[in-house]
Amino acid sequence: MLFSSIPFLYFFLPCVLILYFAVPRCLKNTVLMLVSLFFYAWGEPKYVLLMAATIGIGYVTGLLIEKFKGKALSKVFLGLSVAVDLGFLAYFKYADFFIENFNAVTGLSLPLLRIALPIGISFYTFQIMSYSIDVYRGDVPAQKNPVNLAAYVTMFPQLIAGPIVRYADIEKQLKHRTHSFEKAAAGIRRFVIGLAKKILIANTLGELCDIFRESDEKAVLYYWLYAVAFALHIYFDFSGYSDMAIGLGKIFGFDFLENFNYPFVSSTVTEFWRRWHMSLGSWFRDYVYIPLGGNRVSKGRWFFNIFVVWLLTGFWHGAAWNFIIWGLFFAVLLVLEKLFLKNFLEKTKVIKRIYIALAVLISFVIFNATDMKEAFQYIGGMFGAGGIPFVSAEMLYYLKSYALVLVLSLIGSTPVIKNTALRLCNGEKTVKVINVLEPVVIAALLIVMTAYLVDGSFNPFLYFRF
Amino acid sequence: MKSKIKNIAVTVVFAVVIFGLSVSFILKPAGEFSVSERRALLQFPVVNIENIMSGKFMTDFESYTLDQFPLRDGFRTIKALFAANIFRHKDNNDIYVEEGIAAQIEYPLKNSSLENAAKKFNNIKDKYLNESNKIYLSLIPDKNYFLAPTSGRLSLDYKALVSRLCENMQGEEYIDIFELLNINDYYKTDTHWRQENLLDTAEKLLEEMGASADFDGLKENTLDVPFHGVYYGQSALPLDAEQIKYYTSDIIDSFEVYDYQNDKPMSVYDMEKAHGKDPYEMFLSGSISLITIDNPNAKTDKELVLFRDSFGSSIAPLLATGYSKVTVVDIRYVQSAILGRFINFENADVLFLYSTLVLNNSETLK
Repeated sequence: MLFSSIPFLYFFLPCVLILYFAVPRCLKNTVLMLVSLFFYAWGEPKYVLLMAATIGIGYVTGLLIEKFKGKALSKVFLGLSVAVDLGFLAYFKYADFFIENFNAVTGLSLPLLRIALPIGISFYTFQIMSYSIDVYRGDVPAQKNPVNLAAYVTMFPQLIAGPIVRYADIEKQLKHRTHSFEKAAAGIRRFVIGLAKKILIANTLGELCDIFRESDEKAVLYYWLYAVAFALHIYFDFSGYSDMAIGLGKIFGFDFLENFNYPFVSSTVTEFWRRWHMSLGSWFRDYVYIPLGGNRVSKGRWFFNIFVVWLLTGFWHGAAWNFIIWGLFFAVLLVLEKLFLKNFLEKTKVIKRIYIALAVLISFVIFNATDMKEAFQYIGGMFGAGGIPFVSAEMLYYLKSYALVLVLSLIGSTPVIKNTALRLCNGEKTVKVINVLEPVVIAALLIVMTAYLVDGSFNPFLYFRF
Repeated sequence: MKSKIKNIAVTVVFAVVIFGLSVSFILKPAGEFSVSERRALLQFPVVNIENIMSGKFMTDFESYTLDQFPLRDGFRTIKALFAANIFRHKDNNDIYVEEGIAAQIEYPLKNSSLENAAKKFNNIKDKYLNESNKIYLSLIPDKNYFLAPTSGRLSLDYKALVSRLCENMQGEEYIDIFELLNINDYYKTDTHWRQENLLDTAEKLLEEMGASADFDGLKENTLDVPFHGVYYGQSALPLDAEQIKYYTSDIIDSFEVYDYQNDKPMSVYDMEKAHGKDPYEMFLSGSISLITIDNPNAKTDKELVLFRDSFGSSIAPLLATGYSKVTVVDIRYVQSAILGRFINFENADVLFLYSTLVLNNSETLK
């Protein structure tokens, strides 16, 4: 079930709010777990048992890891927990990719399994793995109450599209959290902003990307328009979903960590990845990069570590070569930045901007390609390959038609709006106006977004496939 | 307003919208038909284990909630107004309104579709027609032809469309009616042209085919129901209702019309359909595959076979004044391979009269 859907907004959410706030504190996690299972089953009825099994194994191994702490068995149970999570992920997400490539290399024709990807498996397996590793490291105690652990993993605001909430970050909140109008209002505000980013901006830019992909009148500028539109689309789509998750979490008393911090204002790829999908970046940093030795090793080993992390980051996003190349593309840029590029870029602001814009745009063209052939075709098109015209009538029409949304989204991808709002909130007079306007704007946005949902069925959410 | 009150206000506003619309949905009786979109609305889906386990119930339920949402048309209007006035989109779901006239963007020109249409027409010619037949082709421009150039919308290359179709067809004579038409010859809220503005077009077609129109005593009638065309519903924008006008005369009233699809006599103007969901269907009862119009008062024994789309419904009665018999064929609803069983093509004039919309989407032709 998508947050940006009528069934969620006008059926699921009202029922959940009534149930959650009607029951006593001791039952709130149980309610959260049950409604989250229903939420998951709505999209994936067949895979609820898979998720339950993953949680069950995580729960038992967590207790055993703690019980045998300091002994070899502790490591065995950690290995078991991680192996089960990775095994499920490998089987359900990557099996066909491995078979296809094995067939291609050996010339065999082993049949593909054609398994439907369980929604959110990449997110919840990473959460359970982080829990097991943290328990093994002694960073958190094992959760004795299976309902609390299940509530953590299944919690619907972050279940299917992240952010990857670490158990350590909400362990205390699972037992003790507060609910207030202040928190609820902050959550509502964040949720509505996220919903607007998704419905009004991301879906609209998604339309533009679809129009481009279906067009037979490709032109150089049309490729660039697509590259810009898709980069903004995926940012507003994913960050909008993260905002909704964080907002819903707040309504239910949780404080999830931020997942995006205006990545498009970055001046290097290193900075970009400190601002983009932060929960995934920090997961790989803490559970892969640092255990491999991080940067406290020889230069060669350091770069090897970077390549491993970015290979896995790319592969996490999808079982296809374009995702792997996408990850490695960033690895190459990160290594180059560490070698000399960062120092060189520091000297000139203009080149720095051009570099990061090119890096990000090209990366997302690779990311969204159906295969590497298409990726090369699109990147070639951006630079005039194939004898295509520079501009076309169709491109100009859609540029004009989507110009305002593009400008708004470009502004919205920087902290300008947030900083202006903060300034206004800090002004003695302006804060009064803001206080009156805020509820009105929230109501108006809800009505407009409902209108968009009622009007059309175009509402795919990209990160579902991960 | 203090922050504490503001937080309460935000929470209350959110709750009012979410719970208010939720309760309204539950209390509102399910609608059956969308007048503005001319389609049946989805009803609550079937609940069973198979549908739930396959996810079909969930998908159908979402579609049902979209169809049955309270104030649905109002919400669609809000979206259309927001897209047009706030986001400044030049079209909304490919529909745009320019000076109160709604039109649909038809773009790009699909060569494969034109080739397919020409192939279908050539097949008919090869199978049924011979030297006794005179074959004509005439194309009806869609509204975009008139509106797009001045409003900056995308439009087909109409010259290329005509020349490519003519290149792909053989032995036909092209009758150009583009110059006789203007945007006011079409309904503001619909795809189609207005019968009351087609006298010169019908005259030219008849003249080019060597026939003469008989418009003596024509009387313009106005339908007593407001007409909201197909773009009215699709655009979801507030557009004024229009009136449908139609011609009668002694000669038109004397026509003997037969519906071969349903094997029964019919009228030139179907007053039941005039008061139905799509009043334009009053012209020859809308989408009927094979109709004959006999003109007992014709001053000639010439016959015409008219291959047409829905535009042909309103002009056919005017063309029938110049022939003793007009056979009206819509090969979107009947296989052209079986036409020989019903139509005697010998010595008949044959006119392929199609809108550019159908030709550019000719997969519907059989």
